[in-house]
Amino acid sequence: MARRALKRILLVEDDPDIQTVTSMALGSFGGYTVRVCGSAMEAIESAAEFLPDLILLDVMMPGMDGLDTLRALREVPATASTPVIFLTARVQPADVAKYKDLDSLAVIRKPFEPTALVETIHELWTRYREAH
Amino acid sequence: MAAVSEDRGELGGQYQLALREYCGGGGEVALLRAYQLGRHAISAGVGVLEMATLHEEALVSALLDLALEDSARIAKRASEFFAECLAPFELTRRGFQEAHAAMRDLNQGLERRLTAALQDFESAQDELLEQKKIERQKNDFISVVSHEVRTPLTSIHGALNLLKSGLGGELNTQGQRLLDAAYRNSQRLVRLVNDLLDLQRIESGTMTFNLRPVDLGSLLEQAVEASQAHAGQLGIKLVLQGAPAGARVRVDSDRMMQVMTNLLSNAAKFSPTGETVVVEACRHDAGVRVEVTDRGPGVPPEFHGRIFQKFSQAASSDRGGSGLGLSITKAIVEHMSGHVGFESEPGRTTFYFDLPEWRRNATREKGVERTWPAGR
Repeated sequence: MARRALKRILLVEDDPDIQTVTSMALGSFGGYTVRVCGSAMEAIESAAEFLPDLILLDVMMPGMDGLDTLRALREVPATASTPVIFLTARVQPADVAKYKDLDSLAVIRKPFEPTALVETIHELWTRYREAH
Repeated sequence: MAAVSEDRGELGGQYQLALREYCGGGGEVALLRAYQLGRHAISAGVGVLEMATLHEEALVSALLDLALEDSARIAKRASEFFAECLAPFELTRRGFQEAHAAMRDLNQGLERRLTAALQDFESAQDELLEQKKIERQKNDFISVVSHEVRTPLTSIHGALNLLKSGLGGELNTQGQRLLDAAYRNSQRLVRLVNDLLDLQRIESGTMTFNLRPVDLGSLLEQAVEASQAHAGQLGIKLVLQGAPAGARVRVDSDRMMQVMTNLLSNAAKFSPTGETVVVEACRHDAGVRVEVTDRGPGVPPEFHGRIFQKFSQAASSDRGGSGLGLSITKAIVEHMSGHVGFESEPGRTTFYFDLPEWRRNATREKGVERTWPAGR
């Protein structure tokens, strides 16, 4: 499988302020190219053209939630097997079990330290590359 | 019916013989026989009127057989005999009435007690349902509030974190102090929200534990290292003095780190600047004991009894915090089959927890889940 470096991250998050903070940290500290999408539809439309290496996905979004968004992204050939990390405030055990069932890479609880987020993503990506 | 007739016939014969005996010679034994015949009649289902007929027949027979000149005496003794024979009937009737009355009283008493017990049960059930409802509403409320607070807190805390990391450029001294204050308090808010959610999980029984054997020394090293920076900001040094070689405990590593962070954070918070907080582990009884000792002012005696209760903080405490940390610590340690405690005097306070030591032969590891790389 692909043993490439992590470059392109698709951030799906409806809250504009969290979009700003997260994308700024990923871009400035991680050096990643970040595409921000405010909704599931936007993410599905962008996926084929942006070809992300990794998707960061919020759960509580108006319209289609993060879980359904992931299911929809799996139908798109470009993101059929792209690793997904959930960024969410919903981390009750029952919720986490659902994220696991959808074969996501990890879940990161909000609030997070953006600088630490970059490190965490780097570690998760390294582990993912080693396993695939 | 045939059996009853036979009984009756036999009874008639016996009655006749016994009556004749009594009329002839009297005596208490013969009178006792009358009483027995009365009881026999009751058990054979023979009524008083039938007995009277039998008596009449027996009396005529006795009068005919015995000397007529004794008829007055015979009649008198026959009356005595018949009266004695009827005594069991009377007793039975009275006994029945008394038993009936006693039964009625008993039933009424039972009914009253049953009604009272039923009312108690119903009100206890209502109370329990109400308590459960309130508990559920409280948990739902905490859950919703904690989630709703997290979203704006992510932006606030994230923005402050980025500013502190220098993303917005250099700030002047005043600006930096203001930023530090804002960042410190947003950290505190994050801890409070996390603590509230943890407490809600503990109380609703939904906190999950991924238990597996870990090396105690390594775990303590990591914990001390992770809290060193925070303690350093307060001018406190954390030192791991020692851990028993090869000691392993079966715990959830993340939760253990949470326990150690709570204890170390408290110890650093209450220590005078420049002091050292010492972490030490040793074998104790059948398990291991981990101690965190600080040189702070000590826990006020009046606070000893409720230090592990939620929302507990000593009145003299001006160090902030949610008052939930120790309560969560206790719940987590106890969930991992451990025990927490403390010893305190002015200038020296030790918080400790005991855990069973894990031995490969003694405990079978089962159902270990793959570590979920969740951010906490």
